Amino acid sequence: MGAIAGSATQLTGPLTASRVRRLSRGILKHDRVCTEFVARIGAAHGGGKCKLDGMKLRLSAAIWAGTAGLLGCSSDAHDGAHAHHGEGGAAGSAGASNPSGGASGASGASGAASSGAGAASGGATASACPENPTPLRTAGTIVALPLELVLADKPFVFGQPNALADGGSLVPLNFRFYISEVQLLRASGEPPIAVDVLTAAGAPLPYGVHLFNAEEADSSTLRVLAPPGQYIGLSFALGIKLACNQERPSTLNEPLTDVSQMTWPHTGGFLFLRYEGRYTAPGSAGSAGASSSAPFPPAVHMGGNIMDELVPRVTALGELSVPENGRLEKGLRVVMDDIFKGATSDADVSGMVGLPPTDDSIAGERLRRELPELHVFVLEP
Amino acid sequence: MAARSVLTAWMLLSLAWLAGCSGGADGTAPEGAPSLIVSTSPAGFPKGTNRERAPADNVLTLDRALLGKRLFYDPLLSRTNDISCGTCHQQQFAFADPNTVSIGVDGRTGTRNAPSLVNAAWGKTFFWDGRARSLEEQAGQPIENPLEMDLALADAVAKVAADASYVEGFQQAYGEAPSEASLQKALASFVRSVVSGNSPYDRHLRGDDSDFGPQRKRGEELFLSEKAECFHCHPSGSLSNEGFFNNGSYIEGGDTGREQVTGRVGDLGKFKVPGLRNIAATAPYMHDGSLATLEDVIEHYAAGGRGDPTTDPLIKPLSLSSEEKADLLEFLRSLTDAALLEDARFAP
Repeated sequence: MGAIAGSATQLTGPLTASRVRRLSRGILKHDRVCTEFVARIGAAHGGGKCKLDGMKLRLSAAIWAGTAGLLGCSSDAHDGAHAHHGEGGAAGSAGASNPSGGASGASGASGAASSGAGAASGGATASACPENPTPLRTAGTIVALPLELVLADKPFVFGQPNALADGGSLVPLNFRFYISEVQLLRASGEPPIAVDVLTAAGAPLPYGVHLFNAEEADSSTLRVLAPPGQYIGLSFALGIKLACNQERPSTLNEPLTDVSQMTWPHTGGFLFLRYEGRYTAPGSAGSAGASSSAPFPPAVHMGGNIMDELVPRVTALGELSVPENGRLEKGLRVVMDDIFKGATSDADVSGMVGLPPTDDSIAGERLRRELPELHVFVLEP
Repeated sequence: MAARSVLTAWMLLSLAWLAGCSGGADGTAPEGAPSLIVSTSPAGFPKGTNRERAPADNVLTLDRALLGKRLFYDPLLSRTNDISCGTCHQQQFAFADPNTVSIGVDGRTGTRNAPSLVNAAWGKTFFWDGRARSLEEQAGQPIENPLEMDLALADAVAKVAADASYVEGFQQAYGEAPSEASLQKALASFVRSVVSGNSPYDRHLRGDDSDFGPQRKRGEELFLSEKAECFHCHPSGSLSNEGFFNNGSYIEGGDTGREQVTGRVGDLGKFKVPGLRNIAATAPYMHDGSLATLEDVIEHYAAGGRGDPTTDPLIKPLSLSSEEKADLLEFLRSLTDAALLEDARFAP
C-alpha cells in the first residue's frame, strides 16, 4: 500500500472506488503526495480549491463530496474539514451519532478497520459531532467515578518517580485520554443503557466527551447521569467517534482543540490516548529517548484515522448499585500494567492507517488492537 | 489631515465594535490588520473573538483597553518610576524583550526572557511556567516582582489614584476608583486586545500565497512532518498546544520551570510551549534567552537538546540537511505580522 502512494506516477489511472480508497490510505502515510491526490480528485469532480494544510486535509465541499462518495463515506461527515473556509455544507451522518450505540462494532480488535461506510450518507443538517448533544435524560442519579491510576496494584503517581519491582523507577510525564459514549451494563442480556457524561457542575459535557488529563485534578473524575438500578459495570469508547475525529480542531471547542494536546497528524485525527514517561533502569540516570522495546515505553500514542471508526470500546466490570436519591461514587482504576502490556505486545499492526508508523504510534496501535484482551479499566469492589 | 483620517478611522472602528461587529464573516479568520478592540481568532486558533475569551467580570471594552494601554506604558507602575510593562514587552519585538533576561528596577536582572504577549487572549496559562491562569492574574505579578517593577499593588493603586485623569479613566472603564483588581483587569484588557493574524502564514492559511513562496511551503511541510516534528507541540494554525515540555534546554542546576509551580519531579525543566506568531521578531529564544537566533533554535532541536536526561522523550536528534534547515527558517520568518510591529494603535 505504501508503494502505491509512494510513487506519484501510480496516481494515474481511473479513479475507481477501491482505487481511491487504496490511494487515500497510502496517502495517509505519505502526505507528500496528498496535494497531487486531492488535485486529481478535485479535477475528477469539478475542480475547486484544495490544499494540504500540513497533515490536515483541507478540501472544498465539492471535492469532499466526490471523495467521500468514492470512499463510501458521508461527504458531510467531513464538514469540519472545509468549514474553516466558511463554505458551509451540511453535516450529519455517522452511525455514532446515536450516543447509545455509537461505538458498537468498534471493538478495538485488529479487524476493527471497518469501512468508512460506517458513516452513513445523508444530508442531515445537524452536526454529526454536536457541541451540545441532546441530553439523553433530564433526571437521574449522578455517578462519580474517580479515575485512579495504578501500577502493580499500587497508586501510580503522575509526575513523580514510581518505584518498580526491578529496582528502577518510572516518572509519567504526560497521560491523557478521551472517554465518550458511556453505557451502563445490565445483567441477563438486557441492552446497555447509554448515559450522559457530565461536568463537575452536573451539565452535559461538550461533545459528550470527557478528557482525562493527569495534569489537571479537575479532570480526574468521570461523571455520568444514570437511571437508578443495578448494573454489572460500564463500557465506553476510549476515544472519540469518527464524526468528531474528522473535524478540524480550530472549528471546535475544548476538549477537542489543540490545547488538548491530542491533535496529531490529522490523517490520524485526534489521539485517543497519549502517554509519555521516563523510565530509569536500576543504576542508570534516565532513559530519555529509550526505544519502545523497553519494558515501559517512553511514549504510547493511540489513535485511529479520519476514515474509519476505529475508536476502541472498553468494559469495566463491577457492581454498580445506583440509588434513587443522592449520588454514587465508585473508583475506576486505570491499570497501567495493561496499558504497557498492550503497547509492548507483539500485536500485528499490519494495515495500520492514519498515524505515521513511528515507535510511539505503533505502540499505540498495538495497545488498541490488544485492548479486547486487556483489563485497562476496573471498577473498584 | 492625516490625523483627522486616523481619528475618523478610529471612530468608525469603535462604532463597529460597539455595534458588535467582529471581523471575518465566518467567525474564524481575521481580516486585515489587528484591532485594538475586538478581533476574531487568527486562523487555527480556538474559536471565538478575543472579547469572547475575556472573563465575564472583565468584558473587553474600548475604555478598558485604552486605560490598560496607558497603564502598560506608564513607568509609574514601578517603584523607581522608570520601568513599565512596555520596557520588557516592546511592540517592535512583538511585545517581547530583546534582552536575554528582563532588566528591572535598579538594573536588576530577572531570570527569564520576557515572552511575547501577542494573541494572549487565546492563552490558557501565562508565564513560562504557567503559574497564572488568567491575564488578570498575570498582570499584577511583574509589578510586584522585586526583580522587575518592585512595587506593591497597593502602592501602585495609590500612585494611580493620585492622578485625576486616571481616576476618571477608571471611573469610565470600571465605574469605580482605581483598585488592585481593576488595575489588573485594565492591563489584561489591553493585552487581550493585541492580536496578530496577518502574517504571510496567516494569509497563506486564508488561501493567499502571494507572499508564501516555494521555500516557505517546503519549510511548512517540513515543520508539519514527522521528520522535523515541530508540529507535535506547535500544531498547524495555532502553533502552540499550550502544554509544558522539557525541550532539552534545561540543564541540571538550572531554572526548573514548571516544577516550581507543581512540585512534580516530572515537571523539572518543563516550560510552556510558546506561540510562534512573529517569532522572528522575538529573539533571543527559550525561557532563558540562551539562543540568540532562530538558526540556533533549529540547531538546538536538530541536536536533540542539550542532553540532560530529563529531556522529553519526544525530543530526539533530527536528521536535517542544510537546505531543510534553511527552509524551516524561511517558514518561521513567514510568521511575522509586520504591521503589528508598528501599528500605532498599540504604541505608547
